Amino acid sequence: MANVVYDVAVIGSGAAGGMVTKTLCESGAKVILLEAGVEVPPSKFRSHCWPYELKYRGYRSEKQEPFYPPDLAGSFRSESNEGVSVDRIRVLGGRTLHWNAVVLRYAPSDFREHTLQGMEDDWPISYEELAPYYERVEQMIGVCGQDDHLEILPAGKSYMPPPPFRCSEQILKRQAAKLGIPVIPVRKALNTRPNDNRPACHYCGHCMDGCDVSAIFSTPGSMLPKARETGNLTLRQNALAREILVDTNGLARGVSIVDRITQQDEEIRARIIVVCCATVETARLLLNSRSPRFPAGLANSSGVVGRYLNGHLGDSANLYLDELAGTPPKNIDGCLDHAFIPRYKTKTPAGAFDFQVNYSGFMFPFQAYSLKGFGSTFKDKVRAMQPGYLMLGGFGKVMARAENRITVDPNVKDRYGIPIAVMHFAYSDLDHAVFREMRATVDELCASLKGEVMKKMRDRPGGFASHEVGTARMGTDPRTSVLNSFCQAHDVKNLFVTDGSAFTTSSEKNPTLTILALSLRASEYIAQQRRLGEL
Amino acid sequence: MALDRRTLLQIIPAALAARRLLAQSHCSMQAEQAAAPYQFQFFTPDEVTLVDNLMEHIIPADEHSPGAHAARAVEFADLMIATSPDYVKQDWRTALQLVAAELKTRSIEDWLVGISQNEDDPQTVLEIFFPMLKQMTINGYYSSAIGIHHDLHYQGNTYVQSFEGCQHPEHQS
Repeated sequence: MANVVYDVAVIGSGAAGGMVTKTLCESGAKVILLEAGVEVPPSKFRSHCWPYELKYRGYRSEKQEPFYPPDLAGSFRSESNEGVSVDRIRVLGGRTLHWNAVVLRYAPSDFREHTLQGMEDDWPISYEELAPYYERVEQMIGVCGQDDHLEILPAGKSYMPPPPFRCSEQILKRQAAKLGIPVIPVRKALNTRPNDNRPACHYCGHCMDGCDVSAIFSTPGSMLPKARETGNLTLRQNALAREILVDTNGLARGVSIVDRITQQDEEIRARIIVVCCATVETARLLLNSRSPRFPAGLANSSGVVGRYLNGHLGDSANLYLDELAGTPPKNIDGCLDHAFIPRYKTKTPAGAFDFQVNYSGFMFPFQAYSLKGFGSTFKDKVRAMQPGYLMLGGFGKVMARAENRITVDPNVKDRYGIPIAVMHFAYSDLDHAVFREMRATVDELCASLKGEVMKKMRDRPGGFASHEVGTARMGTDPRTSVLNSFCQAHDVKNLFVTDGSAFTTSSEKNPTLTILALSLRASEYIAQQRRLGEL
Repeated sequence: MALDRRTLLQIIPAALAARRLLAQSHCSMQAEQAAAPYQFQFFTPDEVTLVDNLMEHIIPADEHSPGAHAARAVEFADLMIATSPDYVKQDWRTALQLVAAELKTRSIEDWLVGISQNEDDPQTVLEIFFPMLKQMTINGYYSSAIGIHHDLHYQGNTYVQSFEGCQHPEHQS
């Protein structure tokens, strides 16, 4: 093993790593996929378990516990007072194993914030350049939805049928129309008919607990089978990347890993390294990859690695529609959110928000937390309100600012001796303005819907909804960015980063489709450069 | 290797059935552990009686469905508190001692009526305790088979072939 030199080492097996691995294996490259976690097979998913079948009745994130091994603890510290959180999963497939699968194309304007709004920076790539990759990714992963002909939400050529609206969503659409607010079918990486050798959704409502039939796109369910078929894939699990090693020419030569089981260190050698560890861990890995040639961390001559951390701000509101109160219970689980309110205030930066509807599930009566009193009256009220449940989850753009960043603390190490990641983050005035606009929209919607608002949005936003991006941003200028438009490090030509870290700026839209499109584009560039002998 | 439609139609139901069985057996294993006779870890026998009574008053049995007692919400509470940090345990112990003292001169019903008056703006130790107790009751009851099936008549968490959306014209315009 020690003498094996792979063509490509991919670090991380989430959406980015899965796409890169599949594409490069299919191109003929010998690929080793390094994953710090292990496979959790669908038979071990707890998605369909009833709460009373679980020790803690599903509280304490019990259903998702297999995806978050205990050794993650102590490897991260937040020095932010904003109440934001980041998701640091450790499992084969990463967050594709328990995501809500909302996939939205960025709009042309999302790539040109500096040109159009005079703020942040433009991406080094345009929508028009990325559009063919969006199209192919959508066909590859299977997306349900429709083309609503909105400039702010470009669409592909063909989608599977979207799931139909529930009663609450129809009522929302009816009332929102009176306010000029669009309510359209959501787009999700979800089969509403058999596709990609995967079955159609069975509408159990457990998208985020792990889809046991892979009706939702995931790396293990969709990408890795194709990569394995090529015979070019080597999968190494429990392989936690300690640092990326460089040779005397300043090129990446391999990855130093620690095996989480044996605790042994090992060097995995490869001609090309693709980092797909997600925004926090990618920054941590690059910053921990220090050498005489790269004393500030790998690919960090600009000092930008770790900076421009951002992600969605948001909060949710719950209301209970009078029209549906007391109606007979029926199975409305579906595939969580079926309806979507796209950004509709497109002329002002503070309008950069959208809403996903009803993604919190229908089993638990959240109104019980807010209803006053006790006894039979309380109990009757909880039951009567339950059919009218409508949840609005807002997602807003956060500015990409250099002062928001991930650093590493050399004095505090995790149980494997790796310096931990530290988050520094504060919202900007514009971020707060976006949140205020979002909250005002929710208030306006709630006022137009007859019902009881049982949970209002708070005064300050939460974040990042697992949508953090931006710590190894793309750009045209090596002095102010880490990667070029192919996600290739300016400083190290055989090093690529294709996860959310690569984003120059973000929008109100969920990032995964763009991560997949960037990963496909970067992978094909790598394959081309290999054919040309450039890599 | 692409599969044709006929092959897919043969494979998918079998694969689904196999996965369902696997998932069910996994949940069943969890359920066996969850259904084992519960040994209280935190509450004293007197506290078990007290908390059980309080919870049953918050979500009582009625003509529609059994209440928190039948749903064994007190066992859930015991487990959650026993596995919480020490300060949580101390808060519960202190509050339960105060409640027990209160109930020497008042009925549970009277005490709950009084303490719930300031639910929006709790000030005293017991006013702050009441929302904790109520939330624990809610969490325990509505995660139980009684709460989910008997009371709410929740219909989901199952496999269905298709999803029928809203069929009500009045909801649409």
